[in-house]
Amino acid sequence: MRPYKVLLFFACVLACLAALCLVLPGRVAFAGTEVRWPTLAEVMGSTEHGTEGIELLDTLDTLERLDTLETLETADTVVPEKPKPVVPPKVVVDSTMDSRIFLQSFYASLSQTGERRVRVLHYGDSQIEEDRMTMQIRETLQKRYGGQGVGLMPLAQTIPTRTTRQELQMNGKIITPQNGPKRYLVYGPKRDQRKDGLYGVMGQVAIMADSLVSGSEDIIAVCKPQMESAHYERWKIFADSTIYYETNGDTVHLSGKGAVYGLSQESDTGVIVDNIPMRGCLGLVFTKMDSTQLATFYAEENVKLIIMQFGGNAIPFNEQPSTIKSIVKGLRDQVRYVQRCAPEASILFIGPSDMIRKKDGEWQTYPMVPYMDKLLRKMALEENIAYFSLYNWMGGSGSMLRWQEAGLAGSDGVHFYRNGAKKAGNAVVEWILGEIKN
Amino acid sequence: MDFLSHIFAFDADSPLLFTQFYFWGFFALVFALFALILSGQQSAISNQRMHLRNVYLMFVSWFFYYKTSGLFLLILLFVTLSDWLIARGIKNSELRIKKFWLCLSIIIDLGLLAYFKYAYFFTNMINDLFGTGFRVFDVFAYVGNGFAETGRFSVDTIVLPVGISFYIFQVISYTADVYRGRIQPVRNILDFGFYVSFFPQLVAGPIVRAEEFIPQLYKPYHLSRRAFGIAVFWILNGLAKKIIMSDYLAVNLIDRVFDNPLLFSGFENLFALFAYSLQVYADFSGYTDIAIGIAMLMGFYLPMNFNSPYKSQNPQEFWRRWHMSLGRWLKTYLYIPLGGNRKIGFGTYFWLSVIALVSAALTGWWIWILVPFAVFMVGVFVWDKIISHRSSVISNQQKLLYSNLNSFITQVMGGLWHGASWNFIIWGGINGIGMIINKIWRETGWHLRFGAMTLLTAGLCVLDYTTNLPAWRLFAVWAAIVWIGTAIRYIYFLCEGADNKFTKAIGTAWAILQTFTFITFTRLFFRSSSNLDPASANEVAWSTAKNMVNQIGGAWNSAIIPDFLWEYRWVVAMFVAGMIIHWLPTNWKRRYRLWFAKMPLWLMVIAVCIAIVVIYQFVTADMQPFIYFQF
Repeated sequence: MRPYKVLLFFACVLACLAALCLVLPGRVAFAGTEVRWPTLAEVMGSTEHGTEGIELLDTLDTLERLDTLETLETADTVVPEKPKPVVPPKVVVDSTMDSRIFLQSFYASLSQTGERRVRVLHYGDSQIEEDRMTMQIRETLQKRYGGQGVGLMPLAQTIPTRTTRQELQMNGKIITPQNGPKRYLVYGPKRDQRKDGLYGVMGQVAIMADSLVSGSEDIIAVCKPQMESAHYERWKIFADSTIYYETNGDTVHLSGKGAVYGLSQESDTGVIVDNIPMRGCLGLVFTKMDSTQLATFYAEENVKLIIMQFGGNAIPFNEQPSTIKSIVKGLRDQVRYVQRCAPEASILFIGPSDMIRKKDGEWQTYPMVPYMDKLLRKMALEENIAYFSLYNWMGGSGSMLRWQEAGLAGSDGVHFYRNGAKKAGNAVVEWILGEIKN
Repeated sequence: MDFLSHIFAFDADSPLLFTQFYFWGFFALVFALFALILSGQQSAISNQRMHLRNVYLMFVSWFFYYKTSGLFLLILLFVTLSDWLIARGIKNSELRIKKFWLCLSIIIDLGLLAYFKYAYFFTNMINDLFGTGFRVFDVFAYVGNGFAETGRFSVDTIVLPVGISFYIFQVISYTADVYRGRIQPVRNILDFGFYVSFFPQLVAGPIVRAEEFIPQLYKPYHLSRRAFGIAVFWILNGLAKKIIMSDYLAVNLIDRVFDNPLLFSGFENLFALFAYSLQVYADFSGYTDIAIGIAMLMGFYLPMNFNSPYKSQNPQEFWRRWHMSLGRWLKTYLYIPLGGNRKIGFGTYFWLSVIALVSAALTGWWIWILVPFAVFMVGVFVWDKIISHRSSVISNQQKLLYSNLNSFITQVMGGLWHGASWNFIIWGGINGIGMIINKIWRETGWHLRFGAMTLLTAGLCVLDYTTNLPAWRLFAVWAAIVWIGTAIRYIYFLCEGADNKFTKAIGTAWAILQTFTFITFTRLFFRSSSNLDPASANEVAWSTAKNMVNQIGGAWNSAIIPDFLWEYRWVVAMFVAGMIIHWLPTNWKRRYRLWFAKMPLWLMVIAVCIAIVVIYQFVTADMQPFIYFQF
């Protein structure tokens, strides 16, 4: 074939495709599915990069902010000597107000850290799994206010964290967590839930002597610190009184029958920050947990700050504002329930990060993210709790894409990488301590 | 003005990729001028016209490279010039001078490759070993800034020029072939420049050998009607592979599992790993299919690069079918010079020692690696000397030993070529070991095979039982599956069953599945995170592999398999379809290719349009939302 004929062939194909662009209106229903085809304007638009400059500026801006945070992290910041005065109980809500005024109770407790333990619980969805974000909050608070140890971990750790990797032995044999004592999860599928609501403070409990392996149970949990700072050998075990335990170094030896709610490495003074991830969870589970059990723990353990980081799991499956509204209403009930269980503690709600998906060939923010963020903030202020907008802090709509490009977040458009989580965790703690605004 | 600068200026964010609309616009323009140059009666097309065609395509290729890599074009131009001059020097000299020229060329070429691709890797290695704190320094940026550390270019980072691994290997093959007298040096530097930079294969291969390509420069344009159809077929085939089997699977499942294996159950991890095997193949082979098709339209024939590699029945065959142009290059310029299956010499001992030292440094097991290695090497040396002394004919055992040692080195180096980090070296090493074990296995009788497999399986089961580590569980299950296959075959052998069509087919399918599984597991180490700095890339690659093994061997969770298959039905369907198409018999594929190629042109236009519309559906497909099955 002569070259001009090849060229002619190409021209015909291009002409046909261009004709399709003119004829088809973008989307056509065909045989039950939707067939997409770009319009001519879109094709032409795709070769232009007019908006790139602006996007680049945005990226630079975000990165610059992130850099600033990095500097903040290393700089010696002055520890607030006196806690701010406690505000009157009822606050007039203003949508632009700094919601940190609701953290007074926590700020006040920081002056006691020399004498006793102050506890911070960080509940959240998969965004905080592996001790992500929590780790930075813990590091900063412990550096400034004292305290050692990674805090609570479940008896059978199914997901190793950045700080601790656990090995479980039953009757002298190493077992996988799945083969260990039966676990009940408040956020898991039906078959893993229990009716009495006695999940303990982590929302998960392991029942010894009810395991898949028969015979008497004798469990050894070896918790190997993954970094020097996580090395701490003082234990506190949260379990039924029918459980006997001995600790030795990084090993806990448990026997007896009953429920184990958590193992904790912690000091008697300073700040203890517990990482409590609930994979796939919307956050609507607190009301399923026994209130007496929660209230007792919160009071006895001097819990002064409860961080609730939820909402992301509602985003991918809901496109209706009404659904988001009802989910936020549900979260409001959860906040109230937690407030009732922990009247002495401040509550901080962290909204979802920016989340993106690929639609029509383009990565874009899920339409409900900004809406949910707004509703959550409103809800938080009305309930007199603090609110940190991860979404706004990241840079708003589309910022996840820039995070991905900067190697800070994963390809699913939802989860942070470790370095991304580090930036976010640092931002949250800097914000709590009054060093950045959001 | 803006429009012009978009067309002509380098923009790191918009390289010319075959899967982008912009590339096809570019190609249409290039081809229009190409057709104009070759217009007129075929017989009337003179040598001058051909020459003009070559020069034209060379400038187009340079432009293409500039659009992709910016000023790194200078590196391409530099190696073109240096190897062209050196090859001319080789031609008219005596042996010693020839050798000098060859060495000089290799030092320049590999030096550039080492500098751009391996600087971080070596710096990290030295820092790890000696506790030093060296950092890379970009001398080219320093020179570019007018001998200053600050300026237009950053001296603290070294950016890898696109395609450098490919064109460096091409120029080496040229100089080596001239040295060995297999080809005459190219007289005209423009022709040589064209060979080095021909744009379809410039950034991702196939690696074209000088002796295959340079003669084509002097042949007039010829494209039969059928070849035209085949070329169009390759382009469409490549686009479909790249966009449907690679990008779609990656975005919707594979990337998220590899990013965060712990969020997924063992089954999901295993599925993603197999899907990744398909993805890597589809991505790479899809790209080279397009390259082959485009080159063919312009009358140039590039070598086949993938021959349905997952049809291989053993790892050795796999490497003959996978990235064939690299395999052939390594065979010609590394494996055979090392001695092939004819000898082991200084090169073999030297490289094995380097590998042993590096593995010792990597693991820190100095004594456990170096002592057995030294004993082994001395053993090999003495054994080889004794056997050679007895007979001058090379025995089969010697051949087996030589080829195993030399091909192991080749595999490790091949691994290093794929990427400058430990995981690629480990990947190469595992492939080398797999190949050796398979070669020995094939030389072994059935009694021994069954015995060894039984021992191995029993050992692994005991290890799994006592340690209960996911990695051992994984190996134990794998070994048990292989053991079952071996046992059945062994019983058949004991009953003196004869091979017939049916048993042969089962045997073939079994071998293919085993090879595919082995290759898939080596892929645990094949993935690199390109947007990380090399030190954390290593850490991430290692922890990904470890977490995936932990999940596959530990948190299997079969209860969620039906849910997963249903929710990810499109991804699963694409994977299954991809594997079925891959495994179709070669003559079926040839038949439908020819059927397409021979179709009337008007019908082909329609077929191409439909194919593009279908592919576009996958480009724009909505992303599979995130679902958790395991808590």
